[in-house]
Amino acid sequence: MIVSDVVCPFCGCLCDDLELEVVGDRIVRVKNGCSLAEATFMNDTRLPAPIRRTTTGWEEISYDEAVKETADILKDADRPLLYGWSSTHGESQSVGVHIAERIGAVIDNTSTVCHGPSILAIQEVGHPGCTLGQVKNRADVIIYWGCNPTEAHPRHMSRYTTYATGFFVPDAHMERTVIVVDTRRNDTVNIADEFLQVEPGGDYAVLSALRAIVRGKELVIPQKVAGISKEQLIRVAGICKNAKFGAIFFGLGLTMSRGKYKNVRNAIELTDELNRHTKFVISPMRGHGNVYGSNEVFTWMTGYPFAVDFARGIAFYNPGETTAVDILRRGECDAALIVASDPGANFPRTAAAHLAKIPTVVIDPHVNATTALSRIHIPCTAAGIDAAGTAYRMDGVPIRLKKVIERGYPDDAVILKKIYDRLNGGWDHD
Amino acid sequence: MTELLVKNACVIDPLNRISMEIMDISIRDGRIVDSVSAAAEVIDTHGCLTLPGGIDSHSHVCGTKVNFGRYMSPEDMRAGRTPRSGKMHVTSGYYVPTTYGNSYRYSRMGYTTVLEGAMAPLEARHTHEEFTATPHQDMLANTLFDGNWAIMEAVRDRDVRRTAAIVAWTLSAVKGYSIKLTNPGGTEAWGWGEDLTSIHDLVPNFNVTPAEIITTMIQANELLHLPHSVHLHCNNLGKPGNYQTTLETFDLVPDNNNARQTLYATHAQFHSYGGTTWRDINSQAEEIARSVNAKPQIVMDMGQIMFGRTMTMTADGPMEFNLYCLHHNKWSNHDVELETGSGIIPVLYSKKSLVNCVMWAIGLELALLTRNPYQCLLATDNPNGAPFVKYPEIIGLLMSKRYRDEEFATLHDGTGQRTVVSSLDREMDWNEIAIMTRAGQAQALGITAQGKGHLGVGAEADIAIYPIRCRDVDPATEYRKVVEGFQKTMYTIKRGRVVARDGDVIVEGANNTFWVNPSVPDEFSVASDPEFVKKFEEYYTVRMSNYPVQDVYLPRGKCIRTEMNL
Amino acid sequence: MPQGVEVEHKGSPVYRASVSVCYMNPVDLMDLGIEEGARVVLTSRAGRIVLTTWTAEGVNRGEVFVPMGPYANHIISAETHATGMPDFKSQVVDVEVTEEPVRSVGELMEEIGGLRYDRQ
Repeated sequence: MIVSDVVCPFCGCLCDDLELEVVGDRIVRVKNGCSLAEATFMNDTRLPAPIRRTTTGWEEISYDEAVKETADILKDADRPLLYGWSSTHGESQSVGVHIAERIGAVIDNTSTVCHGPSILAIQEVGHPGCTLGQVKNRADVIIYWGCNPTEAHPRHMSRYTTYATGFFVPDAHMERTVIVVDTRRNDTVNIADEFLQVEPGGDYAVLSALRAIVRGKELVIPQKVAGISKEQLIRVAGICKNAKFGAIFFGLGLTMSRGKYKNVRNAIELTDELNRHTKFVISPMRGHGNVYGSNEVFTWMTGYPFAVDFARGIAFYNPGETTAVDILRRGECDAALIVASDPGANFPRTAAAHLAKIPTVVIDPHVNATTALSRIHIPCTAAGIDAAGTAYRMDGVPIRLKKVIERGYPDDAVILKKIYDRLNGGWDHD
Repeated sequence: MTELLVKNACVIDPLNRISMEIMDISIRDGRIVDSVSAAAEVIDTHGCLTLPGGIDSHSHVCGTKVNFGRYMSPEDMRAGRTPRSGKMHVTSGYYVPTTYGNSYRYSRMGYTTVLEGAMAPLEARHTHEEFTATPHQDMLANTLFDGNWAIMEAVRDRDVRRTAAIVAWTLSAVKGYSIKLTNPGGTEAWGWGEDLTSIHDLVPNFNVTPAEIITTMIQANELLHLPHSVHLHCNNLGKPGNYQTTLETFDLVPDNNNARQTLYATHAQFHSYGGTTWRDINSQAEEIARSVNAKPQIVMDMGQIMFGRTMTMTADGPMEFNLYCLHHNKWSNHDVELETGSGIIPVLYSKKSLVNCVMWAIGLELALLTRNPYQCLLATDNPNGAPFVKYPEIIGLLMSKRYRDEEFATLHDGTGQRTVVSSLDREMDWNEIAIMTRAGQAQALGITAQGKGHLGVGAEADIAIYPIRCRDVDPATEYRKVVEGFQKTMYTIKRGRVVARDGDVIVEGANNTFWVNPSVPDEFSVASDPEFVKKFEEYYTVRMSNYPVQDVYLPRGKCIRTEMNL
Repeated sequence: MPQGVEVEHKGSPVYRASVSVCYMNPVDLMDLGIEEGARVVLTSRAGRIVLTTWTAEGVNRGEVFVPMGPYANHIISAETHATGMPDFKSQVVDVEVTEEPVRSVGELMEEIGGLRYDRQ
């Protein structure tokens, strides 16, 4: 059976033009997807049943037992942490917030170690952006700053930027100028018209220099800024000012290097400045398929996009205090529910280690590094494969993920709802 | 079967010409009926003011740009936070509350129906998700068409039928309620960082003018028999001298509908400025009101500003950028491909600013100078002019010259020379206020047929009971009681269920979303037009089959079908 | 010698196979006296980890590039300077040649108190 217009749930691009061939409960062919999509749909090995750690190994348990024990763990905890959320659909994310509110937990999502700093910058200076189709149809200058779409978002350039045919840019890359800024020559540099190789930690200075040049203050710029020549900076600023429509896409090169959210803030302010001369937009390259969705859902429900702490009875937000890595580092939480993410692999060691010290439950279709640190792992559907639901693309466009096959797993929204019901008083009915 | 009897209510129901009559209201299974059995639950209001549930005809509460406003403003989230309590979830936000925050605060004020001011079709799914999380108000979505490429091409080709067909397909695909135009043509120009300055300017690359877009869309709207009229945010919002644009725009509007207006001009205050610069800006509310008084085909809402901080958020991207250049506050922008734009920036309306004082006066002048209260409705373009929790204060100002004078005395002393409000003696009465806050909206939005906005037999039992004994209160002098009374109902009843009691929401909500499915003969349908489909697939970044909002997003959707009139 | 470590998010689902590596400039490998494929141990204040070397011209001299994952995280501190975000891209490390084996992800998890689940 052929299913068309399938949405790939893997990365923030949420490409929705995939064609899958389905045989029974397996996907056997993926057309139009990148290699990450193929792996997502075809190398989809699942944990067969819920498991619980024993003193000697692992034993399989029933879903009912798993739900009951998870609810007990959360109920007994003084400071539970609910983390992850980025690869599942909005329906689950909403239940997660309800649970956190009910038990006074901290709920955080993977932005915390990814584009959290971008959010902090946006909270300082705003976000002048647009949907990806605006870039596709209009942009003649594309800047990739501190990211590597060739590897991390393989179809970004063919669907939305460099190679995409746009209404006002019918000759695609012939009419577009691509500028890449990075500390090293990554694969994306190969297709760039200008490459600025910036010294590690030097992005902030380069952004400031560009802002100064755009404002006509090139005299204050030294001959070299963070490894980049003044001449190149002036040339690039000129390309930007003379663009009809410029789009900056940035990634972890800005959010993770020294300065973090200040780097992003500076890039946003450069964009603001350029808007006085021409049309310019800036957008983060979101990694997980539905991390933006978790920001959106958390925000309309609680007011804050990540790191929300309900312990005081209100929604409380204080990055550095209520963010997952910090809470784990301080050994502050005494139970954890990890949904659709892998902090065992993605968090610094001492933070991940704390997960092993406390009762941790994982709800995820796949075995991952965090499984080893958990007490219980409950397998569920994978949004976009065997569960339908809402996901938000990196530019904020909401798309419905499809259910393409049935593999007999419960939807994590259903599992979470059962946990919520037990926490709300249902456990008396055993 | 559930029955409720509201006894001894002092009812004002303008659509049924009832004004301050003490009567009983019988409710069965969510609707108002003639009588109920002795088993009915009884609420005795002891003569308190009882109105149909409030209806907000233009409010930004759900969707992409609203959520942008929230997440970029943690300082506002902290300002308005409340803990979980009973059935009420945690809320955050003062000028851009979270969805539960909006819902509870509207409910506390007796509001039961809200029209979301602007929804971009591509992002409609987001709006609908937030509608479901605003559980105590029935919701409707103004659907943006101002920068829509397919529409502009049809307008350029002077093809009204095609324009109507595109509107029909889009509204039914995204489950929208009505046509919204925000700075028509200007939002497309903003795609290149430009704007338009007159309704006769050509939109770059599309060669249509705002005037053409507006007139063609009005024709399309009527061709499709949509329940609401075209809902317009005029060009040149916020610019000194823009009243000319507004008057020119009003002159375009024919009188094409017997049941309601042919144009709803929203937040008219922002479009009533005389002068040429910020230095000599003055009020031209008199001119605008004069035009509206002579044109029954136009209904406007005030767009009142109130002093204090708030958040501006509109699809009018270029206008928001201008505010950024003026104030240097944190600015967000979000243009939506092939459709529209948006911008978000916080503002502070200050009594020390002469411009802001003039703006404040203009909103009141518009209401006081419009003869027929059905033609000037109470709104603040929430949150652009002020958060909706300020409506009771506006009611107080409209009903009491003394209150206005006391406020006026605290304003910038140059205000008197630029405005006329201090010379206006009119004081609205209870009936007029009821029209400006529910009956007028129901009529303008075309939802009286759905049982909204009145308390006659057959109506939906959406009722607000305020702790005000109107016979014993003189609103002209006791405006404090008026303001306090409208801030918190004794009871808010939604579809026959008490949802709020003395300020607390006491049940989980289950709201309806009203949307329109205009049917168009097959030969005109754009879904089967290869040209439309080809352009869609080529220029959008989502597939046409993934664009429509699936039924699952409207758990209790109410579809209104209309037929195209050939 | 002190070096800089960069961590990049590698979205590939087979990343575990490729995250136990570090990319170094070929001249630095030459200085260490090894060829691509030999193993090195990276030591920071937060920990030590054995990785397989790969060459990459794109990596600057004096820098080591380790893909995002449990190996990199073994030597990244959990300090976030009140931002919530650890210093993934500015960790200073010492690099030495080693014969020690590269451990599996399961072993890494067990070292911090976990119990690997190997059944599929």
